[in-house]
Amino acid sequence: MKLKKYFALTRCGILESLQFRASLLVMFAGNLVYLTVVYFLWKSIYASSGTNSVNGMTFHDTLIYLVLATALFNFMEMYAVWEIGRNIQTGKIVLDLLKPIKYRSYLFWSYSGSFVVNFFTTFLPTFITVCIVTNSAVPLGINLLYFALSIVPAVIINYSIDFIVGTICLYTESIWGINIMKQVIVMLFSGATIPIAFFPKTLKNIVNYLPFTSIYNTPLSILLNGNPQNANILTMLGIQVIWCIALLIVSSVFWKISLRQITVNGG
Amino acid sequence: MKKKGINFYLHIYFKILAQDIKSKMSYRADFIISTIGMIFTNIAGFVSFWILFRNFPSINGWSYYEMMFLYGFSLISITPVQCLFDNNWNLRMYVYSGDFIKYCFRPINLFFYYQSEIFDIKGLGQLAFGLATMVYAWTKIGLACTPLIILKTIIFLITASLIMIAVMNAAAATCFWITNSFFVMDLALKFRDYAKYPITIFSPVFRFIFTFIIPVAFIAYYPSLVILRPDNIPVLSWISPAFGCLFFWLSYKLWMHGATKYSGTGS
Repeated sequence: MKLKKYFALTRCGILESLQFRASLLVMFAGNLVYLTVVYFLWKSIYASSGTNSVNGMTFHDTLIYLVLATALFNFMEMYAVWEIGRNIQTGKIVLDLLKPIKYRSYLFWSYSGSFVVNFFTTFLPTFITVCIVTNSAVPLGINLLYFALSIVPAVIINYSIDFIVGTICLYTESIWGINIMKQVIVMLFSGATIPIAFFPKTLKNIVNYLPFTSIYNTPLSILLNGNPQNANILTMLGIQVIWCIALLIVSSVFWKISLRQITVNGG
Repeated sequence: MKKKGINFYLHIYFKILAQDIKSKMSYRADFIISTIGMIFTNIAGFVSFWILFRNFPSINGWSYYEMMFLYGFSLISITPVQCLFDNNWNLRMYVYSGDFIKYCFRPINLFFYYQSEIFDIKGLGQLAFGLATMVYAWTKIGLACTPLIILKTIIFLITASLIMIAVMNAAAATCFWITNSFFVMDLALKFRDYAKYPITIFSPVFRFIFTFIIPVAFIAYYPSLVILRPDNIPVLSWISPAFGCLFFWLSYKLWMHGATKYSGTGS
């Protein structure tokens, strides 16, 4: 049984995140305040603009987009850079490298448990609430299936970027600066804070050539599109898969090269 | 014991500061990367501001440049908490490990000694960024530039900065009771991002909450009204310096109360 060892890690992850119930609660409160601010901000933006739809998005669209982006962020964010950086600084990484499993898979599968927990504690409740509050403005149909499909490469792309940035920490031994840079770039260019539709034209063109939109913007636009064209969906998913493969290769090669570089204090 | 004067404390402060800078300089790469990270954060924040508001001539009666003024003001007033009170983030670690006891044995003010131990130079980049934004908005709006108005700006900036310091002090002090205050602090840190919006966009209930319960409106909105709308200044703007001092004093008392209650870990 090859998969058994991975699922054992998932199980540990589930138990671990259930242990920190207080943090889940505080996260929930934080999101509530954030979403309140977002709601009122965009409401007054739309009220001041005088039209119902700005850049092809109505107020409801924008709100659903941003609420679900937050839910998706809580679900997908793994803080892998912190973990790798901390492991490097404390020397724990040596023990992890000795394990009979690739470090990259080990880290990913240890986090997979929190995916499961976060999916049921944050994403699903948020999604249902949004559906009820906006009077089912979220189209429920075949797009849900496409959405689920596009989440898989999104998670892998997000993780690969984290892993590449974490590998850089092997050279710099600086965590905070590297991590904050990664975080602001991903959050801005993936459309997690402002929908890509609002970006000025040139910036939109640049962003379309970067992998970040595949993390938040692609799944969310697929979800919000009630009657999808097959060709359209296929290109979006295709781009995601291409990025996914490319980043997987880059992260794995970069890790292999960097591992020769590793110096661990004490250990 | 003789009460020690302000000169004594200033002298001590610069002594400790010099040590801190020396120790930071021994990790030069980390320092440089962290500084770049901080600049990145500010640029990304500004870009999102620009993307969001360039489409709209005004939000709720606030022009683009007035919003920018508010943004710059909030950046400056959250600088002191970043520079001078960054050690709050380590408090939970000291309390958890028991190292906090070492601060209790010094013959000077506990709070002062603890906070003076770290000076975060990264925050100065933010200060420069905020100043540039505010000056640019200032000239674009065409505000007068008399000594009186500059004096007012400085006084209101300083007192406004006390609010964010108070919020972070109180959040950090929770660790005396619940040990892991990270999530509370992370939640409190998010409030500074909401300071840059005019409070009028919220509904009355939230206006009350953001004024009296979570006092984010005093970080930028109320104090900058004094500069931006001199014809029609609400009472809350005039008493905002008093509020700043009051909140700071309350947070100081809470912090000290927790610290005196601290009983160590027994080791």
